[in-house]
Amino acid sequence: MDNNGLYRIYVNCELTSKEDVYTFMSDVVCQDDLAQKEVVVNQFNQREKAGSTLIADHVMLPHIESNHIKNSHIIVIRLAKPILSWDEETKDIRLVMGILLKEHENVEIKKKIAMFTRSLAHEDYLNRLLTISERDTFYQALKKF
Amino acid sequence: MKIVGVAACTVGIAHTYIAQEKLENAGKKAGHDISVETQGTIGTENELTQQQIAEADIVIIAADVKIAGRERFEGKRIIQVPTEIAVKSPNKLLEKAVEVVNQKESLK
Repeated sequence: MDNNGLYRIYVNCELTSKEDVYTFMSDVVCQDDLAQKEVVVNQFNQREKAGSTLIADHVMLPHIESNHIKNSHIIVIRLAKPILSWDEETKDIRLVMGILLKEHENVEIKKKIAMFTRSLAHEDYLNRLLTISERDTFYQALKKF
Repeated sequence: MKIVGVAACTVGIAHTYIAQEKLENAGKKAGHDISVETQGTIGTENELTQQQIAEADIVIIAADVKIAGRERFEGKRIIQVPTEIAVKSPNKLLEKAVEVVNQKESLK
């Protein structure tokens, strides 16, 4: 795991389902507050009901804005093994990038996150994130934003 | 072809910006003059000018929420899709836009 301000980066993460991923991300941002964790997980599920957060083959971008989050985070999870069935329609997920935006976040942080999400429009960049095997190179590729 | 667009999603931090970037990149690659306004959590960015709208052959609205200023496009040919379509299939969406414009031209 690598902690650096906005980013929380995890590689070779042993998570096996969408539920595991949402719980993991809620643990990161809410730590010991069980009630808040539950709310955050529900918000992810609600967002997903509004439309898929699959942005490219093998890549999910779940995102929420919440007053239950103290600090905004981009949580990047490179899975140790693909999640073969994220849901009925979404299969073989290898990389999850969760955006957890604090309600009323300041514009500078929002701009940083927006710059990051714009970068995800580039297939070459996403392919690099999916295939880089060196841990340090993976961190560097993410932190250029 | 001249294309203008608006991207807006529910949270306004993810699909909005990816849709904009994908549409603009795919449009420029296909040789179109394209500009996409974002209505996200930061507010409106890359706001379309009256001239851009007036000159546009078509408007693409990639949105999961009601967009602000839709009346600016009154009388224009509009394609509206969820942001997911612009994110997953920008090229197909632009091909559809070209098809719509060409159909309109052939009816003149």
